Amino acid sequence: MPEMQVDTSKTVEISNKKPGKPQSNFSRVLKYFLLRIVALIITVIIGVYIAILIANMGGAVDDIRKAQIREQIGMQMMGDPAFMEIPAERRRELMREMEEIEFRRLGLDTPFPIRSFIYLREALTLNLGRAERMTSDSGSRQVRLVILERLAPTMLLMVTSFLILFFGALFFALFLSRRYGSFLDKAVIALAPTSAAPAWFYGIFLILIFAAVLRVLPFGRMVTAPPPPDTFSYALSVLRHLILPVAAILSSAIFIVTYNWRTYFLIYSSDDYVEMAKAKGLTSGLIERRYVLRPTLPAIVTSFALSLITQWMGNITLELIFNWPGIGRLVFQAIGLYDSPVIIGTVVVYAYLLAITVFALDIIYAIIDPRVKVGAEEARR
Amino acid sequence: MSRKLRLLSVLVLGLFLVLAASTATAEQRTGAWLDEIIFSEDPVAEAVITRMQAGEIDVFASGRTEVELFELVLADPNLDYETSFGSYAELTFNPHGPLFNDGRLNPFAVHEIREAMNWLIDREYIAQELYGGLAIPKYFPITGAFPDYARYIDIARALEAKYSHDPRRAQTVIAEQMRELGAEIRAGVWHYDGEPVEIIALIRPEDERRDVGDYVADLLEGIGFKVRRDYRTGAEASPIWLFGTPAEGLFHVYTGGWITTVVSRDQASNFYFFYTPGGWATPLNMAMQPTDEFYEVAERLNRRDFTTMEGREELFVQALELAMKDSQRVWTVDTISFSPRLANVSVGADLAGAIAGSYMYPFTIRWADEIGGSMNVAQPQIFVDPWNPLDGSNWIFDMMPIRGTADWPTIYDPFTGLHWPQRLKHAEVTMKEGFPVSKTLDWVDLDFVEEIVVPRDAYIDWDPVDQVFITIDEKYDNDEIITANKRVVIHFEEDLFDRKMHDGSTFDMADLLMPMILTFDRANEKSVYFDEAQVPPFETFKGHFRGFRIISTDPVVIEGYTDGWYMDAELGAAFFAGAWAFWPWYAQGPGPWHMLVPGLMAEAAGESAFSSAKADKEDVEWLNYAAGPTVEVLRRQTERAIEEAFIPYEATLGNYISAEDAVAKYQNLMNWYNEKGHFWVSFGPYYLERAFPVEKVVQLRRFEDYPDPADKWEIFEEPALADVDVTGPRRVPRGTEATFDVIVELFGEPYPVEFIANVVYLAFGPDGSLLFSGEAEAVEDGLWRFKLSAEDTEKLLVGVNKIEVAVTSVLTAIPSFDYIEFVAH
Repeated sequence: MPEMQVDTSKTVEISNKKPGKPQSNFSRVLKYFLLRIVALIITVIIGVYIAILIANMGGAVDDIRKAQIREQIGMQMMGDPAFMEIPAERRRELMREMEEIEFRRLGLDTPFPIRSFIYLREALTLNLGRAERMTSDSGSRQVRLVILERLAPTMLLMVTSFLILFFGALFFALFLSRRYGSFLDKAVIALAPTSAAPAWFYGIFLILIFAAVLRVLPFGRMVTAPPPPDTFSYALSVLRHLILPVAAILSSAIFIVTYNWRTYFLIYSSDDYVEMAKAKGLTSGLIERRYVLRPTLPAIVTSFALSLITQWMGNITLELIFNWPGIGRLVFQAIGLYDSPVIIGTVVVYAYLLAITVFALDIIYAIIDPRVKVGAEEARR
Repeated sequence: MSRKLRLLSVLVLGLFLVLAASTATAEQRTGAWLDEIIFSEDPVAEAVITRMQAGEIDVFASGRTEVELFELVLADPNLDYETSFGSYAELTFNPHGPLFNDGRLNPFAVHEIREAMNWLIDREYIAQELYGGLAIPKYFPITGAFPDYARYIDIARALEAKYSHDPRRAQTVIAEQMRELGAEIRAGVWHYDGEPVEIIALIRPEDERRDVGDYVADLLEGIGFKVRRDYRTGAEASPIWLFGTPAEGLFHVYTGGWITTVVSRDQASNFYFFYTPGGWATPLNMAMQPTDEFYEVAERLNRRDFTTMEGREELFVQALELAMKDSQRVWTVDTISFSPRLANVSVGADLAGAIAGSYMYPFTIRWADEIGGSMNVAQPQIFVDPWNPLDGSNWIFDMMPIRGTADWPTIYDPFTGLHWPQRLKHAEVTMKEGFPVSKTLDWVDLDFVEEIVVPRDAYIDWDPVDQVFITIDEKYDNDEIITANKRVVIHFEEDLFDRKMHDGSTFDMADLLMPMILTFDRANEKSVYFDEAQVPPFETFKGHFRGFRIISTDPVVIEGYTDGWYMDAELGAAFFAGAWAFWPWYAQGPGPWHMLVPGLMAEAAGESAFSSAKADKEDVEWLNYAAGPTVEVLRRQTERAIEEAFIPYEATLGNYISAEDAVAKYQNLMNWYNEKGHFWVSFGPYYLERAFPVEKVVQLRRFEDYPDPADKWEIFEEPALADVDVTGPRRVPRGTEATFDVIVELFGEPYPVEFIANVVYLAFGPDGSLLFSGEAEAVEDGLWRFKLSAEDTEKLLVGVNKIEVAVTSVLTAIPSFDYIEFVAH
């Protein structure tokens, strides 16, 4: 379920310091951004290394993988009657040879502490490397391709849902804030707790109703099997398959998000300057745009940006329910297979996206919020 | 015996003909019954069943064990299922002790305590309650649905009676042994050295073994042990129970599970594998301490150190008894998996591999009421790994559609594990005397000789530089005599070279020689196609291979020599230098030589690799013939092959193919790619129309040029399970004769006597002990009879006795049972 983060704390400094030695605007901004970049880089490095340690259970995954390899090779060889006819000692040697080949392939012949820094180096340089157990859908071992192939379906599902949810809830909340206490407003408040159930929960019901009983929409998948040959039919098929998962996401989130924002707008609507504007006889549209929406913009933009990048990670359960070939299922499979490069690759991309977004937000805040002055030491309030 | 079995096989073939003649439409259809099969991925079993009920999916090719799902299938008249028996479960005990390194007690180091666990657990309860009826009680390391169980049914049933549920006896034995170990019971809990004896139960939580683990833990707690339940997935548990150090005592008992995907006709090596240090080089096995007697028996069975089937039986019976006494592993159940399908779908499923693992499914899958049509098959996964014939995906779910595109020289009987001829006309197997080999079917001739000398002109090795085979004469300077245990002569069909492949090419000798060349060449460091991952399997091959000769190329007749052998001549003709060694079916799929060439060229150029190990080592993509980035590599290399008129291994294969032939084949391949977008070319009843790896869909279409009749393997659509009913007197005075009839039916008709291997009866007393056993005699088709002599009935005990009858058919490995209870007085 995409989460709308309404009251995310601001990541910029609101200048309220006393005047000191004057600095040029350029050097002040440059210094501030450099510091921010350094801080973000350190955060990313630490975050990624922690992810590496977690994905490998601090090196314990090596034991698991070695055992799996041994077991797999043992079972494979024991099923071969020709192998069983070889003297026991020779059999052991051959199995050891096969194990070593596989250990080398997976880098398990290098101690984990050393390998963890190799992972880190490759991750930070965005060389996501090769998956150990998984292949991309088209058969590539490149983590980059493994992730990229799943990115499109995830983006299609999650971003579509998110955009509909975000803008739908935004305008619906504004609409409700103007009709405080109306039946519709009360209905939304009453329905807000329905968001306690996750999207997959609604997904199951939607599948049962529209696929199993009414049979008007597909059970799941991204496209019919076999996929239509021409692009237009293919796109139509994808759209049809998109309806239920998107509806499930919307069902689980729309009321709570609308309720939150409507409350948020109501709070801003009761500020003195809004009352003043009303007293001056300004139109309600103008009041909303200039005195309600504008001061809430930083929070909305933050919410939009951070929520957007969380879509990257997909939704494991929803993708499983709808058999949607997205990143969520990929991560689920990678964890099950202990495929560290894929897990790390996914986290690395997320970490970079998060850092870039946070950095971009700093700039955006300065642009859209007149109260914010980055790094200013003599700014006025 | 062989004459009788020859007669049986003629009758079986006769039955085929009758069945074929009865279906008028079948005569007109060749190749596949269906026009199209669509495979798609759906990992959620519950969703698949719902989709089946909604008509979206026709077959779920996945062996399931969930009771709730099974009930859903049973409740829906439009759904049916195929059953399989390839999985089994057990309890593995930590063999170290009786004390671990830290001084804790391991009661299971004592074999009497392990043996007593057989009486403690109630297998019937496990099968019926914990597995919801989807399991059969199991006592031995052999599968109840496979031939060895049927072979030794009398001793097996007697041992099962001996080790049936008897908790009181278990408790008595365990208590006695615990006291001998120095433990004492305080407040109902066993204590050793002042501390409660704690048992660590390592429990797999992924399936019903969680319930079994809890059940066993409850039982152990009930007899005074403190139990710590350690739930771990397979991956987490493996480093503990299998590769951990037993002396560290990280577990006492583990809920193990095993799987086999084909019907194994010889499970004799299981005793060595499961119970001895030599069976598997794992710390667990290394710590096992079988008695000398058991080790010797297991080891001899593993080496197949017997010269007659009677000799094998003697060893096998001993092994069964000693395995129960040893009980390093206490077997719990053979699980029954079900693969759901629509009721109007017919398919030949394998007793071990179900639908997904069946070699017969491409030839048998059809709509019961329609010829042609399309069928939707769901699988939990698809396109898990790249498809390439040499070292591509070996996932069962990828292999299912791959097998749909293939054909084989011989084909697995899904119910017995025997092989039937497919592209072979017949075969001759000559064994060295002293090997207990027999034959069942008529397509193989079997004889024995005192010694088999490999001819000097037989090829025994390969020169990767000159790219020619090396004869024995060339390899050995002196007049060293090379002998073999087996000689097999395989005669391919006369029209083999007229048969078309999917891209329009035809078979040639190079297709048959390429597999043998690649076996040698890819494991040789001097080859440009060397792959270190091929070395260990090649060493195995080298261990038994003794040479081959091409006797004729039109029709193709090849002679193979080997030390490897099977008890069944049919399997001997198929494997160990048999027909499969000269057939373009590799480890992971079909591979006409002209299809392999672009892949080999790509590997030599360092652009891609067949095996995942080599691909990772060289940091190139793993070859995928069906889709993905390497398809472009294959396209480029095919163009290069056309330009260069490339003949692979020209010094050898150039004798059989010309440059023009090669270019024509590459051109066919390129046309195929241009039309279908992939390089997967084969020769089976279906071809790969399109592969959609991202959408997880595989589309197979019927190959119209596949000439075999569609109904060729119709008899394998359903296992010929005998329906048995025993009738006889309800009261038997001891010391008098008593006659019992056994009615044996097949699909409601009398089961032909010719297809029945034997009908065994076993008499059990009121206490469950085996009193005596014997064999019934055939009266007529469907009716068998046995008479208990006055001497026999004298052995009956006063009270309710039971006679159990086991019927074994030559058409299926699963024995059928029935019993009758009567009062002896």
